[in-house]
Amino acid sequence: MAGVLLWVISPKENATALLSLIPRSGKQKRCRLCPGLKFSTGFSAISSAVANPARSAEEKVYEVVLKQAALVKEKRQKKALDLKRTDETDGMTDWDLLNEAYDRCGEVCAEYAKTFYLGTLLMTPECRRAVWAIYVWCRRTDELVDGPNASHITPSALDRWEKRLDDLFEGRPYDMLDAALSDTVSKYPVDIQPFKDMIEGMRLDLKKSRYQNFDELYLYCYYVAGTVGLMTVPVMGIAPESKASTASVYNAALALGIANQLTNILRDVGEDARRGRIYLPQDELARAGLSDDDIFCGEITDKWRNFMKDQIKRARMFFDEAEKGVAELNAASRWPVWASLLLYRQILDAIEENDYNNFTERAYVGKAKKFASLPVAYGRALMGTSKLF
Amino acid sequence: MVCLSRALVVSCMVKPSVPYKPCSLSSRFLHAKPRLGSKWRSMASEPDSSSFAPSIDSNASPDKTAAGFCIIEGPETVQDFAKMELQEIQDNIRSRRNKIFLQMEEVRRLRIQQRIKSAELGILKEERENELPNFPSFIPFLPPLTSANLKVYYATCYSLIAGIILFGGLLAPTLELKLGLGGTSYADFIRSMHLPMQLSQVDPIVASFSGGAVGVISALMVVEINNVKQQEHKRCKYCLGTGYLACARCSNTGSLVLIEPVSTVIGGNRPLSAPKTERCSNCSGSGKVMCPTCLCTGMAMASEHDPRIDPFD
Repeated sequence: MAGVLLWVISPKENATALLSLIPRSGKQKRCRLCPGLKFSTGFSAISSAVANPARSAEEKVYEVVLKQAALVKEKRQKKALDLKRTDETDGMTDWDLLNEAYDRCGEVCAEYAKTFYLGTLLMTPECRRAVWAIYVWCRRTDELVDGPNASHITPSALDRWEKRLDDLFEGRPYDMLDAALSDTVSKYPVDIQPFKDMIEGMRLDLKKSRYQNFDELYLYCYYVAGTVGLMTVPVMGIAPESKASTASVYNAALALGIANQLTNILRDVGEDARRGRIYLPQDELARAGLSDDDIFCGEITDKWRNFMKDQIKRARMFFDEAEKGVAELNAASRWPVWASLLLYRQILDAIEENDYNNFTERAYVGKAKKFASLPVAYGRALMGTSKLF
Repeated sequence: MVCLSRALVVSCMVKPSVPYKPCSLSSRFLHAKPRLGSKWRSMASEPDSSSFAPSIDSNASPDKTAAGFCIIEGPETVQDFAKMELQEIQDNIRSRRNKIFLQMEEVRRLRIQQRIKSAELGILKEERENELPNFPSFIPFLPPLTSANLKVYYATCYSLIAGIILFGGLLAPTLELKLGLGGTSYADFIRSMHLPMQLSQVDPIVASFSGGAVGVISALMVVEINNVKQQEHKRCKYCLGTGYLACARCSNTGSLVLIEPVSTVIGGNRPLSAPKTERCSNCSGSGKVMCPTCLCTGMAMASEHDPRIDPFD
């Protein structure tokens, strides 16, 4: 799995933390993207503005985000009136089994993502359990295409997995870990679309190993990391006193997911290259005068340094974008999310300190720095929504 | 490992498909094959594809996907073999086990050929299978054991024992006699530690035996606990080594309660009859469903050697 994330803080960040954990273990899913339009942040100045008439990845993803925001309101209203749900959960009113399922999710999380797990301990128990359930589902999905049994996965297996997802959202989970997620989605206004998008990302991952432009890479990052942000924002909750729109909070969550995924990509260039995968946009590499062979060679040249500088700059832009939304989350969730944002940002600093050598050296944030970030994150979390805008 | 799996795929594709494969499912298999072929090609281009490469023959392997079998269970998957009669099932089991046995033998022979061919082409094989393989030490904080390491272990162990015996037998008394260092008697020591004086009455043989026994027992305990930790590490974390997860449909009981609406007006004074139950279709009555991570082996990383755990065991 990708380096442990600081998952500590609020939902958006959690999502990214989840995401970073999930897809990056060397088998990254790729998304085919429509080339596209400029994103609202304007970072498209960096990415090649391909003049295609089709919609860009960013636009498509933005639409998903808007839909999610709209659905949240709808779900909240519906939940008040929807009593049917309780009848549909046949079998899961067995509380012992449900608690055991949540505990198992916690154990899996503690085993595979230690820093993230420590971060979840900073949350309220209910929120923590929900995040664990989401983490375990995402991890199981990722392991389908990336784990020890990846070679047995057929497209029909992914279809069945998706069918299981549909069933659990309707209150008919198949096994106990599905049941934990089913309980979570019944308690929080979580929508099924990000989960389906993640499975879609898995499908694409079976096909792609190169990304032609940033648009394609953006869609991939959305599928594997942005979706986690969208999954966890409803769990973390938006602060009631926040004046920001739901869509903007979701956007920030998405940005945090993308930022985390880009950080993972930039940190693991060497590792991925050794598996024959390059998660950097081909057109930008060409523009910097680099080719796939340069990456496989692993030589640090000035061209590489300049290229990496631009990539890191773009990742930092996404982090900045994400920061705008963290303060809008529920007070209890802000600290973990801030901590994870700060810690993951430091990985980019570590890459720079390694003289952009991401081929042989792993950019690592030491424990001391990690602990030092916690009080900083706490301070920022206390600031809340009043200081923003 | 990639070469091996490639060879496996080739051999499987060369063989005609299994005759006892149900015809209705073969179409699904054929449909799945071309897509898997492209996946295979993309995976083959990686020097070190997924961490678990050998079973890529699943594309063509008859006993997994050929029958339209899918490793992810859904609510209806247990029907895959349900239409067979008992004798047919037993025949199928026997023939599949034969096939597994024969294929393991073929793997062995292919490996021999692989080694011969690599030697001819001059490709160096780094692994020596006849030497002691590298495995982690049971004692915490010690490096993993190899055959070279083992000699060092022996040397260290003997020299430590010899050194301690020399120290206790020669060095310490010499120091005491010549330099006056040490020489605290047992009684003096007990007195200085403010322990009850009856402890000083124990004879030296009992004392040294007890001390040695405590040391040995605690050392063994440490080693055992480390061993347990290592074995646990190999367990699948999702199902905790059992190979199965609790079925959510029947809440691990194996049976579903059929709820029939009962009218209380017409029923009058008759007591309600006990609700009927039926076998849960998800788990076929066992109360547990397959853990897709370890494929019912209970191991963190399933291999072709791991036996699949039976739910009714």
